[in-house]
Amino acid sequence: MIVKLKEIAHGRSGDKSDTENVCIFARDPKYYDAMKRQLTPEAVKKHYKGIVRGDVIRYDIPQLYGFNFVLHHALDGGATRSLRLDTLGKCMEAALLRFEIDLNK
Amino acid sequence: MKTIRIGGAQGFWGDLNDAPVEMAKKDDVNYISCDYLAELTLSIMQRQKERHPEAGYARDFIKALREMLPMIKEKGIKVLTNAGGMNVKSAVEAAKNVIKESGYNLKVGYVVGDDVMDVISDLRKQGISMNNMDTGESIDSILPHMVNANVYYGSEPIVECLEGGADIIIVGRSTDTALFLAPLEHEFGWKNGEWNSLATGILTGHLSECGAQATGGNYDYDWRNVPHPEDLGYPVAEVSEPGKIIMTKTKNTGGLVTVQSIEEQLFYEIHDPKKYLTPDVVADFSEINLEQIGKDRVLVEGVKGHKRPDTLKLCVGYTEGYRNVAYLPFSWPDALDKAKRAAQILDDRLTNKRLDAIEKRIEFVGLNSLHGPLADEIEQELNEVVLRVAIKTKTREEASKLTPEIAPFILNGPPASCFFGGRTRPAEVFALWPTLIPRDAVKLEAHVEEVK
Repeated sequence: MIVKLKEIAHGRSGDKSDTENVCIFARDPKYYDAMKRQLTPEAVKKHYKGIVRGDVIRYDIPQLYGFNFVLHHALDGGATRSLRLDTLGKCMEAALLRFEIDLNK
Repeated sequence: MKTIRIGGAQGFWGDLNDAPVEMAKKDDVNYISCDYLAELTLSIMQRQKERHPEAGYARDFIKALREMLPMIKEKGIKVLTNAGGMNVKSAVEAAKNVIKESGYNLKVGYVVGDDVMDVISDLRKQGISMNNMDTGESIDSILPHMVNANVYYGSEPIVECLEGGADIIIVGRSTDTALFLAPLEHEFGWKNGEWNSLATGILTGHLSECGAQATGGNYDYDWRNVPHPEDLGYPVAEVSEPGKIIMTKTKNTGGLVTVQSIEEQLFYEIHDPKKYLTPDVVADFSEINLEQIGKDRVLVEGVKGHKRPDTLKLCVGYTEGYRNVAYLPFSWPDALDKAKRAAQILDDRLTNKRLDAIEKRIEFVGLNSLHGPLADEIEQELNEVVLRVAIKTKTREEASKLTPEIAPFILNGPPASCFFGGRTRPAEVFALWPTLIPRDAVKLEAHVEEVK
């Protein structure tokens, strides 16, 4: 079954200069493995195509069934310089919730 | 066992100004720490100070302080803040004035020395490179455009103020977390080198420094069911020993403290969880465990610390031109088509005016302004949509070219639009230059003054 990440996870995003972080936690531990297999840094970088220009690094937080993604060159030069409406990337975590996860994989 | 309760009552300059007052009234906290500074705040404050020499700090804090004074005096609550911004001395004068008016006898501590703008060129001459941490570029190209230069410092001078008996401590660009670590060092005698203890203080600060983000604000897990969100209780941390923190919130308030509210905040603005760099300690959040031990009480365990860095972070704000942003709403039918047509007309007119823009951005609020290319294609018709046009230019004059182009659309553009806000005005764009400097290049001074 394919679901949007929104159905099975929650999190928050925050900025630091031109780097954004998105932490994401499974709503139930049973979803963690599917998330771990599919939310690879490559897949997340592809998901943010057109928004994140640099590397994506994933840090695993297994005891909390979560991940911390660090997105480089993600904010058009940083909150103070960007012409975006969401200069601080507050909505970037919500954008990741669009990611599709196959629960059987 | 001694337990210290520290509240985080302000997440940024512009947060609920009565949060620290409510916390002081309703709770029996020992300390209240208020963070007013974000990355951009000091550049804005520096411009305010240039216009008005007595300005350049978070005046809202003084209003809150006036109302907190009875509780500071009667309950013995100590208040720490970085509201001093770019003008600590002026903020201290304002605080002393409200204390004098109240008739209380209190001690005000403050720290100066984080503003290193005047010594940047000397530091360059001494051979300190200050290359950009992210890009490696040399700082020399931005020096002529510098607005402010402030060093993020740690808890040491704040502890000095507490040891001098200060009831209220006003600083500039200390780290947010130092405002929480300092009271714990002061109370428990934690010292430089006791890395796990210091990391406990940093974590206390990190979980509390964004105010209600730990207690039901921005709560992705279950925002619909946050109790009394109109009266969110700000976070309170209880600390008795290194390595353990109980996170809770102001008594008799709304909001909640759950494993999920704490974990969302735990990694907010964190990069490598093993290496949260602060001037006081390198904190390791990677093995933290969270446990709900009661209603609105979460035990946070497992933080570790490692030796502090030899350098301090210096953040230089500099100007990078001007920004102007305009909005035009359009209604059904064909709202999006109309907005797109208006965007094209506007673009043509700006081209005819020979607009020299560094960057131009067109997006549609209600469609794609928050998620850009990730937003779904819309199949049904929108009821309404707002065209948003943003430009960045080198000069104020160029940026101003956008302003008079917007209102005429009400008569000249595609049908069924209306005004959205007032006339737009160009605003200065500040950029930030993050870099590192040796600790001994910075001379911080802590002072404590008695006010009667």
